[in-house]
Amino acid sequence: MLVEFDLIKRARDGDAAAFNDLVLAYRKRILGTIARLIGHPEDVEDVGQEVFLRLYFSLDQLRSAEVFEPWLYRLTANAAYDYLRKRRRRPESRMSDLSDQQVILADAVAGGKVHADEGQKNRVREAVQSLLDGVSEEDRVLLVLKEVEGLSLKELGRIYHVKENALKVRLFRARQRVLKAFASSRKQTAGVSQP
Amino acid sequence: MNRQTDVTGSDDARLDRVFQAYRAVCPDFDPSANFMPGLWKKIETRQSTTTVFGHLARNLMTAALALSAILALAVSFVPQPLPSDTYAEILTEHQVRETMSEFEPVRISPISDLH
Repeated sequence: MLVEFDLIKRARDGDAAAFNDLVLAYRKRILGTIARLIGHPEDVEDVGQEVFLRLYFSLDQLRSAEVFEPWLYRLTANAAYDYLRKRRRRPESRMSDLSDQQVILADAVAGGKVHADEGQKNRVREAVQSLLDGVSEEDRVLLVLKEVEGLSLKELGRIYHVKENALKVRLFRARQRVLKAFASSRKQTAGVSQP
Repeated sequence: MNRQTDVTGSDDARLDRVFQAYRAVCPDFDPSANFMPGLWKKIETRQSTTTVFGHLARNLMTAALALSAILALAVSFVPQPLPSDTYAEILTEHQVRETMSEFEPVRISPISDLH
């Protein structure tokens, strides 16, 4: 927890200053998560404000301060999902944009072999965005929260109000769909590069 | 089969590394100076919209209640000529009258009148 329970309780009871402090404490983390979920830096602040706006008007329904973080993540996931649905432009063929070079670059960045400059970072971001554009919004949000944000199954269970076993199945299927697209894009690029 | 598993396995590991790289190149987002003022402005706008709609709804409800009361009073004060019999009753009565006319007593003139 980034704040004391008392601050959450005061914010829940309508203390505007406490709510302000709460937002100040969480905004950087939440905006980072949103940026990785939606992949459009120009819209991150708007979606972030929507999250805290929803928090402001629903905070009185929070049962206890202990469940504040899953509550906030749930609002974040929902706002990102709504944004992605509005923006829906799911081009299935975008998978072929993911070139082997991009994968190799992402691989090298992850392994620390390459100190990526801005251009390379952008290419990695684009590669993952292309990959995620090929799956549904539900799969995308779930995968980013698990694989990129590093949330545990237990934490995800508290966010989604779903049992861990059900989440495992959903995650496995989502990952399989990404992997299938990942493999087919690699096959396509290999086919194109062959003389 | 093994080859297939290897390919999937290697893709699986590779996908993990791609996600790790994505996390590394997307650090936490620094909000602009307008973030907090913008948020409070949105909160106030939403609150005022809610208040306006709330007032509107309350006014509409009051008006509807007043109208209902006026209509109820009007109905109770103005006497309505209501039919005393139902359609079925009127029909039955009519039919009985018709039937009875067939059995009307024969009028016999007194003998003295004949003369």
